[in-house]
Amino acid sequence: MTVSQPRVLVIFAHPVPESLNAAAHQVVVDTLMAKGWQVDDCDLYAEGFDPVLSTEERRNYHDTAVNCAPVQDYVDRLRAADAVVFCHPVWNFGYPAILKGWFDRVMLPGVCFDLKDGKLSPCLDNVRKLAAVCTYGATSWRAFLAGDPPRKLLKRAVWGTVRPEKIRYIAQYDMNNITRAGCEGFLERVRKEMEAF
Amino acid sequence: MRALVVYCHPKEESFNAAVRDTVLEQLSQAGIPTRVHDLYADGFQPVLTGPEWSGYLDCPDNRKSVEAYVADVEWCDTLIFVYPTWWYGLPAMLKGWLDRVLIPDVAFVMPKSEGETIKPGLHHIARMGVFTTCGASRWLTFIIGAPGRRTLMRGVGFLLRPKARKVFAAHYLMDTAPHHSLERHLAHVAAKTRRLIGTDAEATSLHGAPAE
Repeated sequence: MTVSQPRVLVIFAHPVPESLNAAAHQVVVDTLMAKGWQVDDCDLYAEGFDPVLSTEERRNYHDTAVNCAPVQDYVDRLRAADAVVFCHPVWNFGYPAILKGWFDRVMLPGVCFDLKDGKLSPCLDNVRKLAAVCTYGATSWRAFLAGDPPRKLLKRAVWGTVRPEKIRYIAQYDMNNITRAGCEGFLERVRKEMEAF
Repeated sequence: MRALVVYCHPKEESFNAAVRDTVLEQLSQAGIPTRVHDLYADGFQPVLTGPEWSGYLDCPDNRKSVEAYVADVEWCDTLIFVYPTWWYGLPAMLKGWLDRVLIPDVAFVMPKSEGETIKPGLHHIARMGVFTTCGASRWLTFIIGAPGRRTLMRGVGFLLRPKARKVFAAHYLMDTAPHHSLERHLAHVAAKTRRLIGTDAEATSLHGAPAE
């Protein structure tokens, strides 16, 4: 990681600007900028990201000479980042499709892992820090009972391919019963986490 | 019995297509009326839009953009998924089907008053089958916590009729899978499908005990 002006890629995936998740996203971006990060704010909805891995992309998936071409810009932004922060709601115990598609299409062989003889080895060495800021409709115990797939995906699968020095998972559960004070408390928690990031 | 098969793979020559055909053959042999959502062939649009999210709680208007898909979910009593596991989870296309079709008053009921939680809404579905393929090994998938399997077997499974019968089958290490292993897996899928729909001796003797 460079000492001056480290770069952070913020991947944001919520369709509605007035949502709590969008407010959290704004806190993430503002706090990191204030702390001296150079922020690449990637709003998947605003950028009209297409999450569907096409037939052609599936055919070329393992061919590292050409597999990045359809999403080269997104790959370049990921490779330029010293840190990645995901900011998204959890729907049906998973990522919104638009974010899952970012994994399917951008986190490719040769970008974040090498696949040789069926064995994986991580290769996204530039990313040293990872965080996720998530909002769940489910209560925390129900998410736990369901195995909390988004938490595992970040803390195990993404962790395993990136091997970061730091990883933070900041979640607000039970969004259907949240109070105004609860929202403010969550945003404050996000701000403190990002200040310490 | 009425079966809905949700199939998601971009390549028609894929192994997943063979899994789908194996499932469909078992359903057809048992004379079960079946509908298929072939998401790639349909050009399904998986992104839940801003207007859809803003109107997410407005029942029944929230189903307007996906009415035909919702009708099939309400029609079926047996739900089967066939898909590849990418990044330990569902392809975006299939995840988008969950996001846009399994909505309030279709798949679950939102809290009506303070302190309540989300209630299941798919009590008419008594059977669920999940058939997938993984590039990763069984061991690595287990270590990661099998997020895709959990999203469906537990997340969607929670919405179904209590004690709904569930079956799951995955072929691991797809990138190095020998032909005989794939053949054997198709036989396994056929057996699991028979177990799901109760056309094998074991399922009949278990008399509807939940199976996984």
